[in-house]
Amino acid sequence: MGSTQPDLAVAGLGVVAGPQADRSQRMMAAEAARLAIADAGLNISDIDGAVDLRRTGGGGDRGSYSDAFTRVLGLPANFYFVIGRGGALAGLGIAAAASFLQRGLAKHVVLVGAVDDWSKSQETKKHGHRGMAHAEKEGYWGKALGDLRAASHHSWMAARHMAVYGTTSEQLGAISVQQRAWACLNPEAKMYGRPITIEDHQNSPWVVEPYHLFDISQVSDGAIAFVLTTRERARDLAKPAVDILGQGFGEVAADLWWEKKNFQQMAVHNAKKQALAESGLGLQDIDVAELYDCFTAEVLFQLEDYGWCEKGDGGAFVEAGNIGPGGSIPTNTGGGLLSCYHLGDLTGFAEAVRQVRGEAGERQVANCEVALSTGHGGELVSPGMCSIHTTTLLGKAA
Amino acid sequence: MTTTETTEAPPAWNKPPPNIDKDSREFWDGLARHELLLWTCHTCGAQYWPKAYCIKHENEPWAANLSWQPSSGRGKLFAYNVHHWAFHPGFKDEVPYYYALVELDEGPLISATMVGRPPAAGDVGKAVRIAYEDHPEGFTIPHFEFVGD
Ligand SMILES: [Zn+2]
Repeated sequence: MGSTQPDLAVAGLGVVAGPQADRSQRMMAAEAARLAIADAGLNISDIDGAVDLRRTGGGGDRGSYSDAFTRVLGLPANFYFVIGRGGALAGLGIAAAASFLQRGLAKHVVLVGAVDDWSKSQETKKHGHRGMAHAEKEGYWGKALGDLRAASHHSWMAARHMAVYGTTSEQLGAISVQQRAWACLNPEAKMYGRPITIEDHQNSPWVVEPYHLFDISQVSDGAIAFVLTTRERARDLAKPAVDILGQGFGEVAADLWWEKKNFQQMAVHNAKKQALAESGLGLQDIDVAELYDCFTAEVLFQLEDYGWCEKGDGGAFVEAGNIGPGGSIPTNTGGGLLSCYHLGDLTGFAEAVRQVRGEAGERQVANCEVALSTGHGGELVSPGMCSIHTTTLLGKAA
Repeated sequence: MTTTETTEAPPAWNKPPPNIDKDSREFWDGLARHELLLWTCHTCGAQYWPKAYCIKHENEPWAANLSWQPSSGRGKLFAYNVHHWAFHPGFKDEVPYYYALVELDEGPLISATMVGRPPAAGDVGKAVRIAYEDHPEGFTIPHFEFVGD
């Protein structure tokens, strides 16, 4: 272990996946937490800290809940708080929980995020709306103009990349197709058993052009929880410890907003630099990449921004099959937000833990020592939209 | 819908209302006067949208060194998309509509839907100008249109 790596490890994982029409968000959160604690071989009484990962700070606000999963589950935690920003959940939660663990204020912290977007979307459909309806929020500009969903403005990223670099819809489709291939190896994925071709992608309806339906992530219910502790404690627990090797954070406002680059790239630069420095690793050490994929272009941007290919060459890179099963950089190996389920960055984080543990079944990447998990999200005030980027490197405990 | 007058009253507003708050009230008042206002620094001339402190130097309390000033209302198409789905029932009769991100000649990016000729591949970078759509409810919705074609 490099001397600068944080003294942190994931000791337990709990996943509640699939439509949960009759279940509340707080019950899903509590159930996922219960599963994670049991997975670690711990008891409820061992948990002395709790963090609630919520997608606040996004465009419109997400349906949330006024309750604490600690109360629901009867957790004897000494602290409980909410953190998160859009889809940036796990990365921020780990950084926050770390201070409690490292100062000796807690021994085992459980972190949970829950969503009921699918169930809510079924309700809003009855009122003639499509997709996830958000509540109004101060500062949201374009709703009256028709800027109503994430696809309304996120699609500019794809559009701008296409205009500047000549990227094509078929190339974005290659991302969708390869992630679907991963999903077809993951029985937990929404799209398990439903492989697609580029032709299927091209024939899927336009939603917000240049995005076809198959460029857009799932609308999901579910919850993911994990237990974070110190490396030493994690080694004595039930499951193989997964170490946090390094983290980093980036902000569009810091280096992209004013230069109008945030429609061609994400705030990866600083986040990557910090995470690689803390871990003592290089890009070539990463065995699987769980890249935040609310839409296909975000994957393309990150492949370029991290350096798996040159800026502007992402289209050709994915077209060559580099990210699917058997590719040079296995990406979103559980199917991702596009084909598995959308629980923010927790989707990729849970998959990273499973890959490092060797628990990924048919989709297991051989000799997976190091996994990358990224987060993305934020406000939707163009041109500073979705400004956060988080990088978390996970690895097999030595 | 042009920069001049609307000839007949548009139908009652059945879409989400404009999100006018304490920071954007003056901007929306400008649209009602058919002025596109930018948040302008009196110290260095930098212009912003939406409201912000100037990033180029120290600011007075409450960013009092900036105020809303009229812009040219002109810019270039930076990116656009085509909404094929009406996510809200109020847009049912308007799909497909073209939602554009525009780089104003003064620098800031701003978004609004296009009127007149719809954009097509190859139009990114072409000149656009603002158009205004007045509503009896007391607000004006901005759009952009191509200049000179
Ligand atoms: Zn200034």
